[in-house]
Amino acid sequence: MAPKQVRFKCLMCGHEYDGMYDHENVTERSCPKCRSNSIRRLPDAKVAKS
Amino acid sequence: MMDVGRHPKVELFTNSEVENVTGFVGNFNVTIRKKARYVDANECTACAECAKVCPVAVPDEYQQGFSSRKAIYMPFPQAVPSAYILNMDNCLGNNPIACGKCADVCEKHCINYDDQDELVNIEVGVVITATGMDVYDPTEYDEYGYTRFDNVITSMEFERLICAGGPTEGHFIRPSDRKIPQKIGFIQCVGSRSQDGRGNPYCSNICCMNTVKDTLLLCDHYPGVEAKVFYMDMRAFGKGFEDLYMRSKEEGVKYVRGIPGDVVEDPETRNLLLTVENTTTGKLEKHELEMLVLSQGVIPRQDGDSIRKLLTLSQTSDGFIMESHPKLKPVDAPTKGIFIAGCVESPKDVKDSVTQASAAAARASILLNAGKTKIEAITSQVDTELCNFCGICAKVCPYNAISASDRKAEKPPTIIAAACAGCGACAAECPQDAILMRHFRDEQIMAQVEALVKDDPEKHLLTFACNWCSYAGGDNAGTARLQYPTSSRLIRTMCSGRVDEKFVMHAFKMGAPMVLVSGCHFADCHYINAVHWTQKRMDRLWNKLDKLGIRVDRLQLEWISAAEGQKFAKVMRELEERVQTVTDEEIEHTKKVLAEEEAKAEAKKKKKAKAGAEVSA
Amino acid sequence: MALELKKPEKLRIGVFVCECGLNIAGTIDCSAVSEYSKTLEDVVCVVQNKYTCADPGQNEIKKAIVEHKLNRVVVASCTPKIHEPTFRQCVADAGLNPYLFEMVNLREHCSWVHQTEKEKATEKAKDLVRSGVARARFLEPQIEAEVPVTKAALVIGGGVAGIQAALDLADGGHKVFLVEKEPTIGGIMAALDKTYPTMDCSI
Ligand code: SF4
Ligand code: SF4
Ligand code: SF4
Ligand SMILES: [Zn+2]
Repeated sequence: MAPKQVRFKCLMCGHEYDGMYDHENVTERSCPKCRSNSIRRLPDAKVAKS
Repeated sequence: MMDVGRHPKVELFTNSEVENVTGFVGNFNVTIRKKARYVDANECTACAECAKVCPVAVPDEYQQGFSSRKAIYMPFPQAVPSAYILNMDNCLGNNPIACGKCADVCEKHCINYDDQDELVNIEVGVVITATGMDVYDPTEYDEYGYTRFDNVITSMEFERLICAGGPTEGHFIRPSDRKIPQKIGFIQCVGSRSQDGRGNPYCSNICCMNTVKDTLLLCDHYPGVEAKVFYMDMRAFGKGFEDLYMRSKEEGVKYVRGIPGDVVEDPETRNLLLTVENTTTGKLEKHELEMLVLSQGVIPRQDGDSIRKLLTLSQTSDGFIMESHPKLKPVDAPTKGIFIAGCVESPKDVKDSVTQASAAAARASILLNAGKTKIEAITSQVDTELCNFCGICAKVCPYNAISASDRKAEKPPTIIAAACAGCGACAAECPQDAILMRHFRDEQIMAQVEALVKDDPEKHLLTFACNWCSYAGGDNAGTARLQYPTSSRLIRTMCSGRVDEKFVMHAFKMGAPMVLVSGCHFADCHYINAVHWTQKRMDRLWNKLDKLGIRVDRLQLEWISAAEGQKFAKVMRELEERVQTVTDEEIEHTKKVLAEEEAKAEAKKKKKAKAGAEVSA
Repeated sequence: MALELKKPEKLRIGVFVCECGLNIAGTIDCSAVSEYSKTLEDVVCVVQNKYTCADPGQNEIKKAIVEHKLNRVVVASCTPKIHEPTFRQCVADAGLNPYLFEMVNLREHCSWVHQTEKEKATEKAKDLVRSGVARARFLEPQIEAEVPVTKAALVIGGGVAGIQAALDLADGGHKVFLVEKEPTIGGIMAALDKTYPTMDCSI
């Protein structure tokens, strides 16, 4: 699986942002707003809907 | 220095880097990259003929750029090994048509322009990390005029100017006019003990005494010289240090308590004018100096990250390496068989570095002399009855400790116990629960979950913490007496990669309002990259919760290093607030939904078992 | 197969609550925690100590293992990072497999971080002990594998610390590989003229 653009959502402050996701090489996530690491990668279907 | 070069038991790899480290205590496998030197160090007699003919001149790093060296050079006369080296970046080209002068004159033919990097594999039982430090570059402190004014120099530059082996043969002259200055000032704490975001907040430990030493050297070389030291506090706490400080004062060195706010240069004389508030008298003073030395601080090695990751060492917020325990195990790294010595651990002087190095050597000798050591019994085992040969575990293991299973041959995987480090990622990922972690079995952890979620579950935050980082971060918060709410109930696993989905789901089913999974920052992961599985699993869990209509933010994730007690306490405070937002109805709903889910799964299992029984019958 | 470790006769768990001077007892009501521990399943003996890690405290553990035929030991004291090896050794001395020992952290993770909330901290301490005992009920004896130690050392960095460490090990008769990034060893020290406190040459 090639790296692709996904949407991340911070579960601490709710901030959403786009970023790269590589299934073979996951990297550390940290909210650009509040620094929390509770960053959920939103499922593609969910992003498309919104 | 010479001793180590000559010692029959020491094999020296200079111009070399550690490229890879695998294995575990007693059995490390190390790959060393010997970078091309282009000069055969064994053959070279250091006759210097080559450097004489080399047409290139570049600033000499060793002399802090005060003089120049050739592209082929010897770092300094006493260098070990005593051999020349060719810097290809400086060389006119490894094409003899371009130059090739040095090879022509070398009688022993030790210059080889086609020299290649070489990889060497070695096996060792222990590793001592002594990668040292860097010095702070004071350019950032623009008000001191370093690089703007010729006569403002750093303390490292001072060393070269005062040294008999230096570019001026020990004549302490100022750069602007090569005259010997009579009025010399020193500014302390440059880049240290800083509160304004420039430099570093910590005390660099060595610069006060280094300056005292420098003033004594000056007074010794040039009697009558006027030296002034501008400082915040003079820290002369070591054995014999106070004596030196007093001697310096007796020699007439003036110590002014106050850090100059501003330095300007007199364009005519090139002298420096300092304005400083003397905090002892409270008066604003002006000082005219012919030369100014900035007492630069010590910083962690800027290229230290790769070694740190190879050896899974953690760093403190300062960037220095974390020891296993600050009081009881000051030279052990948390990973068994790895030790630390010198400035890589914290800024220190020569004596302290030597002391620590001897301590590290002694600690390492314990293992080497014993010739054997015991491995904690926390490795994994496969239950061949439960395994369905899916092969996931083999993919998960960061250590390749699991041989692939074979679905067709119905062959379960085998685990090489000596290679397994015990992270438990395989056990958490196995869809069949067919992997048993010794001492961290599912039953053991589930029992803890149940015990902790039993009374008043709605008030508590169930926390999973990894042994190396986040648990240690919690310890760090404790040692620092950082206060945080009592709501957290914590379970320790070796790695966050061990935290099985079912642990989390079970906690929610039992009525936990919130669950926190915490582990090492990716760079600090003690199991290479087992932490990747934690992240992937969290994404899966969040999706699952979402589907079931459970608020996803009730499951939180934080990476906390062993040094981040502050962060640990902060997370506890923030999550306590969030726990308050989870309502009783929500918890009841979750319990109901998850109980239903479980019933469904059970039914499915039974059906499958029944179907299986029919088939075989 | 070998995984099925047979369950011991009957679980007999000993809980040792440590006061750590006032480090724990200053915040947590240790007597209340001890009383509570007695009510937990399979706990047959509870001992409260001023300093469990000190010799008298360790002797209490050894004594209780024999007297009460304990087959699980839970010590509620400080972080396992410091004393888990101490207590594992202690129970092993009394003939118990070291993996039948469990540690509960009442100090770094409780008393030191909840200094002003004595009641709530005591409640938390009880929960933590309950969790420790619950886990202890499922502990199993383990045999530690022994691995050989290759008699050679790698020293990374040829500055003053690396040189000293390499020399000490080599003088002790061990093979040493000293790796230095730069073309020469010596590090920062080699660039210093004189070094304090002896004011002599650095090289
Ligand atoms: S040793 Fe002295 S000069 Fe250096 S940072 Fe500490 S107080 Fe400042
Ligand atoms: S992940 Fe589990 S089921 Fe799959 S091969 Fe490994 S042990 Fe067997
Ligand atoms: S516990 Fe970790 S290191 Fe051991 S086999 Fe499983 S994944 Fe590999
Ligand atoms: Zn955020």
